[in-house]
Amino acid sequence: MKRLIALSLGLFLALPSVALAAEGEEFDPAHEWELQEWVPIHLGPLDLSINKAVAYLLLATVVSIAIGLFLMRVKLGRDPDRRQALGETIYEIAQVQVAEQGLPHKAIGRWFPYVATLMVFIWTINILGFIPLPLSDETVEIAGVRVPTLAIFAATSTLSVTLALALMTWLFTHIEGIRANGVAGYFKSWIPDVPKGMLPMIVPLEVLGQFMRLISLSVRLYANMLAGHMLILTFIGLIFLTHWAVFPISVVFGTVFYLFEVVIVVSIQAYIFAALSAIYIGSAIEPEH
Amino acid sequence: MLSSFFFLAAAEDGADAGKAIALALGIGLGSLGAGIGIGNIFGSMIQAVARQPELRSELTGIQWLGFALTEAVVFYGLIGGLLAFVLI
Repeated sequence: MKRLIALSLGLFLALPSVALAAEGEEFDPAHEWELQEWVPIHLGPLDLSINKAVAYLLLATVVSIAIGLFLMRVKLGRDPDRRQALGETIYEIAQVQVAEQGLPHKAIGRWFPYVATLMVFIWTINILGFIPLPLSDETVEIAGVRVPTLAIFAATSTLSVTLALALMTWLFTHIEGIRANGVAGYFKSWIPDVPKGMLPMIVPLEVLGQFMRLISLSVRLYANMLAGHMLILTFIGLIFLTHWAVFPISVVFGTVFYLFEVVIVVSIQAYIFAALSAIYIGSAIEPEH
Repeated sequence: MLSSFFFLAAAEDGADAGKAIALALGIGLGSLGAGIGIGNIFGSMIQAVARQPELRSELTGIQWLGFALTEAVVFYGLIGGLLAFVLI
């Protein structure tokens, strides 16, 4: 049984090579980020078409809901089995490492669900991005049927997705800050205690800093995933394109980068995004000065 | 938009080659700084845990936060470089 699974997995993973050989186009990893419309939906100037990234987002939504239900809602008992223990570990990381690091005590009840959802959702998108799935713009003919080729693509490696997530955190930060401290009190809390003469220099910097948060939060996740996928795709491409002597090097480097991304980057980026959201929201509710 | 920057072996004119060198140099120098920073973080973490092993679980979260914040600096350089490469 195990051998059968391994064999079918091996065949499954070998399919992209068939696809690449079949198409015979010029290889360019950046083509993966040219999103084609699958289901065009245009509302006036708004482009709500479903493309590869949207498909991945929908899939990630379903999978993260399933993870939450399966690990934390179904058949809970006093004597936890491995599945329940895993769910409790995830919950504890979200509670202790993310929420309690940044949020003040009184705000945890309201904002814990948001930061925990961010953590699980971003982790799911990221990990789905490293599993070869038949969601791709390219197709290949297998036994007379045109099916999409296997591809690795993370929705978080497009700037729109990460920017939308960062915008949510950014808006919630200011809404919560204004709700907790009042409009004047909140905007006053942006400006640190400095001599009056320094104010003309400090105020623009602090205002700019608020907008820089938006950029740094979104670009961090986006660039991490983009660079990871580019590296892996490049090394996979080198297998097919260059001299046979490059093959072992390329395979080793590709595997190393893949494992690095899957083991470290995926989880770290999800954790960081959630933790920074918690810290931003927390510092808006209870400013230090 | 991003279609032209990869595999510059195909790029024939000198301007593209110059831009490619600049991009590579920029990212290389950026990762130099981030490498030093990440080394610092993990070095300090090892020292801290060696001195006070009981603080390990509390320090781990801060360590990864610092790691990700430092590591992201390279990618700001990368994105800036790519933007410059594509737009100019």
